[in-house]
Amino acid sequence: MRRWPVIVVAAAALGALSGAAAYQHIVPRQGEQKGSWQEIAWSFPRDGWPAGRAFRCRGASCGDGIEVYVRPKIGFCNCDRGVADDDEVDRVADVDLISEHFTPIQAGDVISVADMPGRSRAYDLKMTGGTRHAAIGIAVSRRCDLLVAVAHGKGNAVRVRREALALLGETEMTRWMMAAMEGR
Amino acid sequence: MLSCKQPAQIGREQSGWNMSGRLKLAALFSIYLLAGSGIANAQQQVIGAPPEALNMKLVGASDLQARSAYQPTIHHQGDRWIAYIGHHGGSDEIPAPVNPQTGNAEPNGTSVVDVTDPSQPKYLRHLPGQEGKYEAGGAQMVRICDGKALPKGDRNAVYMLRTFGGAAHEIWNVADPANPVLVTRIAGLKDTHKNWWECDTGIAFLVSGAPDWRTRRMTQVYDLSDPANPQKIRDFGLPGQEPGSTGAVPTELHGPISTGPSGNRVYFGYGTNKGGILQIVDREKLLRGPKEPTPGNLRSPEIGRLSTSAFNGAHTTFPMPGMPIAEFAKDKDGKTRDIVMIVNEAILNECNEPRQMVWFADITVENRPMMISNYTVPEASGSFCSRGGRFGAHSSNESMAPVFYKKMAFIAFFNAGVRALDIRDPYHPSELGYFIPSITAATDKRCVKIDDKDRCKVAIQTNNVETDARGYIYIVDRANTGLHILELTGPARAVAGLP
Repeated sequence: MRRWPVIVVAAAALGALSGAAAYQHIVPRQGEQKGSWQEIAWSFPRDGWPAGRAFRCRGASCGDGIEVYVRPKIGFCNCDRGVADDDEVDRVADVDLISEHFTPIQAGDVISVADMPGRSRAYDLKMTGGTRHAAIGIAVSRRCDLLVAVAHGKGNAVRVRREALALLGETEMTRWMMAAMEGR
Repeated sequence: MLSCKQPAQIGREQSGWNMSGRLKLAALFSIYLLAGSGIANAQQQVIGAPPEALNMKLVGASDLQARSAYQPTIHHQGDRWIAYIGHHGGSDEIPAPVNPQTGNAEPNGTSVVDVTDPSQPKYLRHLPGQEGKYEAGGAQMVRICDGKALPKGDRNAVYMLRTFGGAAHEIWNVADPANPVLVTRIAGLKDTHKNWWECDTGIAFLVSGAPDWRTRRMTQVYDLSDPANPQKIRDFGLPGQEPGSTGAVPTELHGPISTGPSGNRVYFGYGTNKGGILQIVDREKLLRGPKEPTPGNLRSPEIGRLSTSAFNGAHTTFPMPGMPIAEFAKDKDGKTRDIVMIVNEAILNECNEPRQMVWFADITVENRPMMISNYTVPEASGSFCSRGGRFGAHSSNESMAPVFYKKMAFIAFFNAGVRALDIRDPYHPSELGYFIPSITAATDKRCVKIDDKDRCKVAIQTNNVETDARGYIYIVDRANTGLHILELTGPARAVAGLP
C-alpha cells in the first residue's frame, strides 16, 4: 500500500495544529523560565476607538499573571511632536480602561515599538476592591496616529514592563501592529 | 456623464448576441462596475468645473496667497469691513509660501482683507505667524475688539487677538489694518486654540496649554480690558486636568463662548471628534470664585454638563438662549427654550471615523441638558466619502448679529462646502442651501494609505465659516483654495428676512 497519502494528511494536520497553536500562543511555552501568552477577549465596552487585541501571560516570569491590551488610535492631533511627554502617556495610553485611579510611580522613558518612537510610564493602580496592581502605559506614534498599550499585573512594575515589551517586540505582534496602523 | 440606468439599457441592446446566460451575466456585471466607477469619479472635483450650489451664490473671492485657512473674523471698522483670517502652518511641500506683496517666503500667519465691497476683496496684508507646518505653526485663531468698546482700551485703536502657533497669544493694534502694530504677547505655552474675547468687558477666555497642566488645552481667564496690560484672573479646566492630579485625564478643551455679564454663562466645548463635553458654567462664579485650581474650585462654577457619545466631540458650542418654539406656543410652560448648537469636527480623510455632525441641545433645565435633534449632509448626495479629504462637520458661524441669529446657522462641512440651515425650529432643523466652491490649481491634495501607499485626491475642504451684519457669508478653505464670500438667494434669503 502506498504511504504518501497518509503522510500528506498527517503533515497537513500537523500544520493546522501548529497554526492554531501559534495563534493561541504568540510566544510558545519554553519550559518554566518563560511565561506563556494567550490571546483573550477585549473586555472593555466600546469607546471612541475600535477594540484592539488583549493577551494574558501566565508562568514563571509573569508571576500571578500579566495582561496586555494594545490597539491603534487613528487620528491623533499632536501630529508634529508625537508623544512628547509623560502627560501625553497619562492621557492616551488606556490606563484608565483598567482603573480610573492611577498614580505615576516615576518619570517615563523614551521607547520604540515597531520602529515607532514614544514613551512608556509606570503606574500604581488602585483596582476595584482596593487591591493594587502595577501598570505600564505605552504610547508610540507615527505621523498623526498612535499605537497604545497598557499592561498590568500584581507583580512589580519592572517585570510588567519587561514582559509587555517582550510581547510587543515579537515578530508576529510587530507585523500585526504595522498592519493595524495602516487600517488593515 | 453616465446615468444609473445606462448599464441596463446597454444590456438590453446586447441581448441578441450569441452569449451563454452566465457570460451575459458576467458582461452585464462588468459593465455595471465600470459605469458605477464612472459615476463615482464624476463626483470628484475637477479644475474648471463650476461650484455646486443651492440657494447660495458666490459674490467674491480671494486666494489668500494659497495659505491653509482656519478661522475668519469679519469686523466693521469705521466705514470699512475687514476680514481677518487665521492660517494653519504651511505644508510639507511649501512650508512658507511666498508673499507676492513682499517677495519673501513667509510662515503662514494672518491674512487681512478689505471686504467693504465683497465683490472686490482687497488683500491688504499678510502678518506672518509661527514657523511650523500644519497644526504646529501659523496663527489659526483671531478675534477683534474696538478700543472704544473695551473699558480701558485706546479709543483710537482696534485690537486683534490672535494665536501665535501653539506658543503664544498676541494682541495687535490693527487700526490701520494694512500696518498692524504689536501691543502685547502672552507666551510660554505648550498649545493654543479657539479663544473668546468679550469686547464690552475685556474678559478673555484664552485656550492655552499652561506648562504645568496635564492637558494640552485648558482655559486661562484674562482681563484684557487694557490690552497693553493683560491681567491673569485664573486657570480653569475639568477636574483631573489640573497640576498634580492623578488618574484619568478628561478630554481637552476646544473652545468657549460667553454670553457676557447679561447672560452670565460660558459654554465650553471639550473634545474634537470623540467623547465631547458641553460644560455650562456660571460666569460670575468663574471670575470671582476661588482661583486655586483644586478639584473643588474647578467644579464650583459648573452648572451643568452634557456628555456626548464617544463617537462625537464638541468643537463649537454656540448658545441661542430664549428661542420661541412655534410648536410649543400654546403650552402653558416651556414656550421658549434655551438651545446650544454643538458642532463636531471631522479629523480623518475619506470617512475613516464615525460621522461628525451637528447636534442641538435643549439646556432650558441647565442641570439636565438634553439632545433634541441633529443634522448631517446626506453622504449619497455627493458621494462625499469618496471625493477626497475630510467629510463631516467642523464649525459654525459664531456671529450673533441679528441678521441670522436664531434663524439660520451656517456649517462648514469640509468637502461638502458650507451648509445653510433653517434653525427657527431647533427641534427640526432643515437645510435651505449649500455652496461647494470650485477647486483651483492651488487646492492641495488629501491622502489616505492604501496598501502602504498614499492615495491622494483633491477636494474643497471648507474649514470655517463666519457671517457679517450685512448678511454676507465668508468661508475659508483648509486646502489652500482661499476665501469665498457668499450671499443667500431664493427662499433662504426670505428666511433670514433679507430683501
